[in-house]
Amino acid sequence: MSSLPRRIIKETQRLMQEPVPGINAIPDENNARYFHVIVTGPNDSPFEGGVFKLELFLPEDYPMSAPKVRFITKIYHPNIDRLGRICLDVLKDKWSPALQIRTILLSIQALLSAPNPDDPLANDVAELWKVNEAEAIRNAREWTQKYAVED
Amino acid sequence: MEQFEQLLTCCVCLDRYRIPKLLPCQHSFCMEPCMEGLVDYVRRQVKCPECRAEHRIPYNGVQAFPTNVTLQRFLELHIEITGELPDPTSGQIMERCGVCSEKAYLSHCAHCEKKICEDCKSAHMDILRREITRFNSQIRRSLHRLQDSLAIIEKNTMSLQTNAISVTEEIDEIYQRITKAIKDRSDQLKGEIDRYLAVELRNLTTLKENLDLEITNIGSNCDIVDKYMNETVEWDDCELMDTKEIFLKTVEFLRHFEYENNDYSRRVRFLVSIDPNQLVMNLATFGDLNIAPHSTPGGSVSSSHLAPPSGLQPGLMRSKSDHRLATQFRQQEERGGYNDEPVLGGRKFGERPQRSATTANSDRYGEGSRYGRSDYDYENDYENESTGGRTGKSSRFRSRFVRSHQNDDSDTEQQQQQRQQELKERKERVLDSEDVSRGQLSGIIRLSDCSRVVQRLADIGKEKKSDKKSDAACAAQAAVQAAIQNQKAAMQRQQQKQSAAAADEDELARQKRKSVTAGAAGAATSSSEAVPEQRPTSERLASLKTTRGGEDSDGSGSNQAAASSPVRTATAATRAESKPPVSAQVAAVKKTQRSGSSDSSASTESSASSGAAAAAAAVAAAATPSSSQHKAPSTARHSSARDSVASSAVPEKKPFVSRFLPQHSNPPSASNGTSDKKKAESSSSSEEETSSESESESEPETKPKASTSSTATASKSTPSSASSSTTAATSAGSSSTSGSSYRDRLEARRASRDDTALASRSSYATPSSSGYGSAGSSSTARTRTVPAPHHASESEDRYGSSSTGTGTGSSYTSRFLNKSKSSAIVTQPSLSTPTASFDEDANGTGDDSDSRYGTGRSRYLAMKERRTRLARSRSSHQFGNEDEDLDEPVSPTTVSPSAYLASRYSGYGSSDLSRSRSSHALKSRDNSPITDRSAGSSRAGALGSSSTDNKDGEALSSWARYLKNKYGSKSSKDTPSGSAGSARDSHAASSTAASSSHAHGTGSSGSGRSTASEVSRRLSLGLPLRQANELASSDDDGSKNGLGSPTSPTVAAAVAAAGITGVAGTIPKQVYLRKRQQLFQLGGRGSEPGSFTWPRGLAVGPDNSIVVADSSNHRVQVFDSNGIFVKEFGEYGSGEGEFDCLAGVAVNRIGQYIIADRYNHRIQVLDPQGRFLRAFGSQGTADGKFNYPWGVTTDALGFIYVCDKENHRVQVFQSDGSFVGKFGSCGRGEGQLEHPHYIAVSNTNRVIVSDSNNHRIQIFDVNGKVLSTVGGEGSDDGQFKFPRGVAVDDQGYIFVADSGNNRIQIFNPDGSFLKTFGSWGSGDSEFKGLEGVAIMSNGNILVCDRENHRVQVF
Repeated sequence: MSSLPRRIIKETQRLMQEPVPGINAIPDENNARYFHVIVTGPNDSPFEGGVFKLELFLPEDYPMSAPKVRFITKIYHPNIDRLGRICLDVLKDKWSPALQIRTILLSIQALLSAPNPDDPLANDVAELWKVNEAEAIRNAREWTQKYAVED
Repeated sequence: MEQFEQLLTCCVCLDRYRIPKLLPCQHSFCMEPCMEGLVDYVRRQVKCPECRAEHRIPYNGVQAFPTNVTLQRFLELHIEITGELPDPTSGQIMERCGVCSEKAYLSHCAHCEKKICEDCKSAHMDILRREITRFNSQIRRSLHRLQDSLAIIEKNTMSLQTNAISVTEEIDEIYQRITKAIKDRSDQLKGEIDRYLAVELRNLTTLKENLDLEITNIGSNCDIVDKYMNETVEWDDCELMDTKEIFLKTVEFLRHFEYENNDYSRRVRFLVSIDPNQLVMNLATFGDLNIAPHSTPGGSVSSSHLAPPSGLQPGLMRSKSDHRLATQFRQQEERGGYNDEPVLGGRKFGERPQRSATTANSDRYGEGSRYGRSDYDYENDYENESTGGRTGKSSRFRSRFVRSHQNDDSDTEQQQQQRQQELKERKERVLDSEDVSRGQLSGIIRLSDCSRVVQRLADIGKEKKSDKKSDAACAAQAAVQAAIQNQKAAMQRQQQKQSAAAADEDELARQKRKSVTAGAAGAATSSSEAVPEQRPTSERLASLKTTRGGEDSDGSGSNQAAASSPVRTATAATRAESKPPVSAQVAAVKKTQRSGSSDSSASTESSASSGAAAAAAAVAAAATPSSSQHKAPSTARHSSARDSVASSAVPEKKPFVSRFLPQHSNPPSASNGTSDKKKAESSSSSEEETSSESESESEPETKPKASTSSTATASKSTPSSASSSTTAATSAGSSSTSGSSYRDRLEARRASRDDTALASRSSYATPSSSGYGSAGSSSTARTRTVPAPHHASESEDRYGSSSTGTGTGSSYTSRFLNKSKSSAIVTQPSLSTPTASFDEDANGTGDDSDSRYGTGRSRYLAMKERRTRLARSRSSHQFGNEDEDLDEPVSPTTVSPSAYLASRYSGYGSSDLSRSRSSHALKSRDNSPITDRSAGSSRAGALGSSSTDNKDGEALSSWARYLKNKYGSKSSKDTPSGSAGSARDSHAASSTAASSSHAHGTGSSGSGRSTASEVSRRLSLGLPLRQANELASSDDDGSKNGLGSPTSPTVAAAVAAAGITGVAGTIPKQVYLRKRQQLFQLGGRGSEPGSFTWPRGLAVGPDNSIVVADSSNHRVQVFDSNGIFVKEFGEYGSGEGEFDCLAGVAVNRIGQYIIADRYNHRIQVLDPQGRFLRAFGSQGTADGKFNYPWGVTTDALGFIYVCDKENHRVQVFQSDGSFVGKFGSCGRGEGQLEHPHYIAVSNTNRVIVSDSNNHRIQIFDVNGKVLSTVGGEGSDDGQFKFPRGVAVDDQGYIFVADSGNNRIQIFNPDGSFLKTFGSWGSGDSEFKGLEGVAIMSNGNILVCDRENHRVQVF
């Protein structure tokens, strides 16, 4: 594997040196393009108190293409399917090289705060979220308690 | 500030903007690679990463977007403020990598000659490093070839010299021969002419006188006739008749007389058998120097497995050690100049090949990039250097290097530039410093001389320092400075231009120091914005410094901001890794590398390790001496252990003393000893030994008393037996004439054991052996009686009174001997306490011994008579002699130590010893009791006679008296009174004895000599061992007993102190220490008897005669011990008894001459009369063949050792010339020899060889195992230059003719230096070209002074 682009190094260093509150991204020992990410559930959200594991992979042409991010921890969210895939515009067509890992992760954190059932990925969840938001939120809380809370 | 920095950061690459391009949306991105990456080629659009606005790409591509000039100004401003170095890649345009085809900033790779990206480049550099490491190991592995060839060259130098010398000698010899021939011939011819002239003259004179007479007569006749033959005078008829007759006769005479003129015409004429012109021509070309064609060992030096890298090939190819090539190379080099030198294309070390393609020099960033490149270069080349595969460099590197600096400076500051200019000028001057140590053969320069390497090494320290905190920086700085100082010192020490280089270095050092301080200051002020005005300078300095070192911007940044920038380039990191953690180590490394030779090169990575290695080396160096010291003692110990045999010789000396000692100093113990000894004697096995002791003891005793007491016994002896006993005594005595040493006895003993014992054995083997044995033993007994009478006054009664017989015939003698011995011992004490000891004797031995004595005596008498009868009936003197020879002396040697110990250590020690000894004796007796016994007895004989001889004149005379008394009037003719007479007699007798024994050995045994030699060999192999064991054991026992130190010096000293021994106890060391003055000299140039022409070998005969190999007279001359000419034999030729420039000569114990017939490549053995006996060897290298045999010697067993000079080995032969073994090969290692010249064998069987061309003496054991090595090249004490003659005395002292230093050196038996004397010259005690040395038994040193054609005696 060719040497790491300078940008990735810089980003990684900055992530280490100036970590974003609630977000922890650690590059894999064997692959500097693969990050183990932990995102805490935002306050005032059904995911509060949860610790969500994600994986993040920087593709070869990063930063020209978006990083691949996926939830490993199960989460009850209309924009996140059972496989953990995330429906987020900045990860798709809205990706810009000016974005960085930290901005992406912040976007994901924001997504947890503000689910967007109009652009769903998990349709049943989105449905419930639209139909019975309270129940959906309760479910989300349950899931969070169930999967995202340690011990 | 952070925001400011952020503003200068491209959001795509998160780096400083590089050529920021402004999009229509007013966002800026780097042109490459950010903007490039944003391009949507399909739609020919670019989407702004910030605002996602889409913009059409201009026709010319993204480059056509306007550059954000404002941003660029800000960037520049930022750089100026922070002092941050520009990105090395800034200003470059990305291209496709020549290797991986990726788009990247490319730089030129020296490895693949392509423009490639950093990744590929570092990979290539790794490859290079690996290759260099590989080459390095290869070179290391094959460096020994150079060293080998160096050794070979040294060797060749040596052999060249020797060759030249030997050829010169040959020429000289031939010249001598020719001139001598011519001179002889012309002398002879002149003599003949003289004779002829005299004869002819005499004839003519006679004729003239006769004619005169005739004329007078005839004239007077005529006158008378005229006057008186007339009528006036009356003449009678008769008278007239007579007158007429006379006149008729006269007429007739006159008529017939005719002078035969041909007498006069019989002129002598010098007829030249060869046309003189031809002869002169022949002589003028009497020899030619044939220089063998030089076969160039093509490529032998250049290792096959050392495949030099292509770049280095020309240089390495030249390393083929052909000096012709070297000169050629040099010429070529001069013609072409260094710059055209093919090695490295004439570049200076580390210089990048000049290439037009690279960056625009006007661009400062470009310049920076070049720094980076040079850094890599440097790394590369450094590695290169470390392999030693350094190659020639031109000055261009420096100039370019400097120029780059200059450019850099011009960009920044004028003043700095000026200094740089200076620097540059200096550098220009120093340009060739790398060439100073350039290897002339390979064109390889020394890396450590290369200023770039120096710089790099200095940078290591500096970098390291910069890593540290400011306080640590001080220490580091000090270290670096120290290192610099060292460098400077080392530099100054080096040659020529190095002084200039030192100045350069100085300058560098100054700058470095300055920059260091600046850097330190910068580090102290951390972010350093506080001192903006200071910045530029420090920056400049730092940059200067780092550029020198080839640091990139990051490196320099780190240098300035210390730890603030944690990110480093890979190279910087590696360098940092390679940096030794301790500054001192850096200094050490630098020092080593700086002063180190080219082969001590170390790579950057290994610099630390090399430092460690240096330290390790130092430690090793420190350790080596100690280890060697360790070794030395150990070897010493070894040698001492080995010398146990030798030292045993000293204990052997004791008996003499000890036997006397007890009498005077220790009577009680002596009596104890005797009683113990009696016990020992009572054990039947100790017969010979004890008896021998009695012999040796009784003889001294005899001397004073002999005249009166021994007549009775003497009357019984026959003339023949008298002569035989004389022979026996003297044969041993002559072989051991030295007064001081017991060794002689050893020698004699061994000798006699070797052959005589053999002979006796064979004689015993004959059918008549029993009779013989008895005869022999009885003769011994008879001899023994001589001592007996001395104390007979006391003991005879006893003998007579005891009448019970127990012993058998064979044991009778021994028992008798026991008795005599014990009585002898008793006698000695009895001098001081006669009665007491005697009582002791009587009591101690008691009935048993007494009775046995009685038996012994009666039997003895009977046997004696029988023996005489037998001897008479057989009338074989020789057998008698033989037996006498063998039996009479009865082994005092083995006994004497025990006797000594017995007396000295009183009691059990002695009995133990005697028991053990007897057990030894028993063991050997298992095989052949008689032989052993006879051997022992012969040993005893040797001892006895030698002891007698030891007493010198008085002793001799007393011995003579003793003989005389013993053998009465019959033998008195044979033994004229007086010591001289007896001595002479003994000499003569000894020779006859030798010959007779020899004859006996060959003749009497039916199976012949071969079996005899076999047996003798077995014996000689077995017996010395046993003997050694005995001696060792005695020594051991002595030490166990703990009375005093058993070592020889002490004993010797004790002996001397006791003052009893007199002559016998002289300490050779002191004698040798006094050696300086020449006693007398022999010879002088010439060919008449007593003169020499280039004498070489020397030997001392058993009768103390001096034997000289008169090399260029092709003869052997023999002188007596006073230097009076005795005889000569041999002449030029290759036949039997003829020599061609003989070199070494040796005389074996039976007086045979062993001669190294050098140019005939053979060894000749001549009998004591100089008649040819046999010759062996021919030219060749096989076993038993020789190439200019030189030194020759023989040991006590008759083995012949030959220095086979040109075969660089020593060969060992039996006395009959059959090959036994060889050792040594050409070389300098231990056990190897180079032109061994002379050889000597001590009587402890240490073979001492003068390893001439290795300037040392090597001491081997008889099997060729190296025991020790003495000396080395030099002229200090204990060092040699071409040592030649070696000799060893019976104490083991070694004498070396240090030919090149024209001196004699004497070494202690342990090899330590004792004494030297002599110098160059032709006066007394001066030498010119030493050859052989020899030691006479009286300690006189014979030195063959070749160029002075003489032998000097000291």
